[in-house]
Amino acid sequence: MAERRVIGPTAWLVGGAGLFIGAIAAWLTSQGNPGNMGLCIACFWRDIAGYFMGSQTGQAGLAYIRPEIIGIMLGALAAALITKEFRPRGGSAPLLRFVLGFIFMVAALVFLGCTVRVWVRLGGGDLTAIWGAVGIVIGVVIGVFVLRKGFNLGRAKQLAAPLGWILPAIAVVLLVFALVTEYGAKPEWATLTPAKGKAVVPGEVVVTTDGDVIKPADATLVDGAVVAADGTVLADAEKVASAGAMPGGLRAALWISLLAGAAIGVAAQRSRFCSIGGIRDSILVRRFDLLFGVVGLVIGATIVNMLFGQYNLGFEGQPAAHNDALGSIAAMTLAGLAAVLMGGCPLRQMIMGSEGDADGAIAVVGMFAGAGFSHWAGLASSGAGLGDNAWLAMAVMAVILGAIAFIKRPRVA
Amino acid sequence: MKEVDVRGLSCPMPLMHTKKAIEDDPTEILVHADSGTAKANVVAFLQDAGYSVSVDQTGEEYKIKGAR
Repeated sequence: MAERRVIGPTAWLVGGAGLFIGAIAAWLTSQGNPGNMGLCIACFWRDIAGYFMGSQTGQAGLAYIRPEIIGIMLGALAAALITKEFRPRGGSAPLLRFVLGFIFMVAALVFLGCTVRVWVRLGGGDLTAIWGAVGIVIGVVIGVFVLRKGFNLGRAKQLAAPLGWILPAIAVVLLVFALVTEYGAKPEWATLTPAKGKAVVPGEVVVTTDGDVIKPADATLVDGAVVAADGTVLADAEKVASAGAMPGGLRAALWISLLAGAAIGVAAQRSRFCSIGGIRDSILVRRFDLLFGVVGLVIGATIVNMLFGQYNLGFEGQPAAHNDALGSIAAMTLAGLAAVLMGGCPLRQMIMGSEGDADGAIAVVGMFAGAGFSHWAGLASSGAGLGDNAWLAMAVMAVILGAIAFIKRPRVA
Repeated sequence: MKEVDVRGLSCPMPLMHTKKAIEDDPTEILVHADSGTAKANVVAFLQDAGYSVSVDQTGEEYKIKGAR
């Protein structure tokens, strides 16, 4: 093969999109989104899962329909329609894509962030995210090895038009629920973290800033302390006063989030930005253009975080993060591998789903289910560290990923 | 002319197949793609390899022609 340019002109397009997405993510934090969580595909779908299933999954503090998610899907849909890239297609191992999305999400919630938030966290100065980045690289290297062995989920086919509209339809349904909740009333069965609601004991005792106890339901506030119906003190006054806000209660205004999401959706659709594709392509086909995307994201987030005084360099006291290096590496190894096997990061799955790709939509539905399961089963981490069964779950997921890689290798008939 | 069909393949397989196809340096190559992402990536990849590229869109398909 003749000499080939390994960095082409599209590097600047992807890099610019990354810069933009990182800047928007950091800006969203200044507008009210959680720290270093201006944009996180996993966390935001987790919050949406909390809205619908929070009463079953114990997500009182992680329940809100994130308008960014709706915006991303509708923005990408509009961009795909205008450029005539909307194509109803699917049928490439949808069940396995559901499982891969599910595993991706459970693993991401052990780390506390998806493959996009790793870079957002780094852009906020959160050095614990380095462990996540290390995990992604390891996972992608394993994924590249599997791809080189011939791993293939099979070709997607053209589908009947309505099947291309699965994810856009989900976006519209979410938009309706978000608007009804914002301007009308929350449905009885839904869970919604109160704005700036405080986590006194994460997941166990949650109070509003006004001092109303929202969890456990039968507890009351007595002299600043949370007291259960039987008189047990669940949290003393000092603990209540010093408690931090729950991520689900930290949010930018609905329209700001929606428009920011739409802008991200358009940028990602046009640029083909992918949070793992850069590392994958660099190793697999020696093409570095996509890598500019994540580099740009870190730079954009760093600059805007510094402008807004949100930049905090270090390993300690980072928002919605823990310092378990080994757990973070293992979790993101699994997430990185799952993302390679399904052909792109969770943001890309959403973009593809919005372009009419039913397989991308199924992966997103798998992520949604995985989020609810993760919290129901207590697998998601907290700032304090990993859940009791997180390592067991990661071992099981590693076996399943290995099996999928083994089953879908090429065989001679 | 070398011909490659990457229709229905998810990332990064369109690039893997294209890379393999140009290993023996064909002067002309035709890649069949059906997604915008595959099209964009294959076009950029061929241009980086020194091909002049043209794209014909016929119905649901992109015919990507590279020549040098």
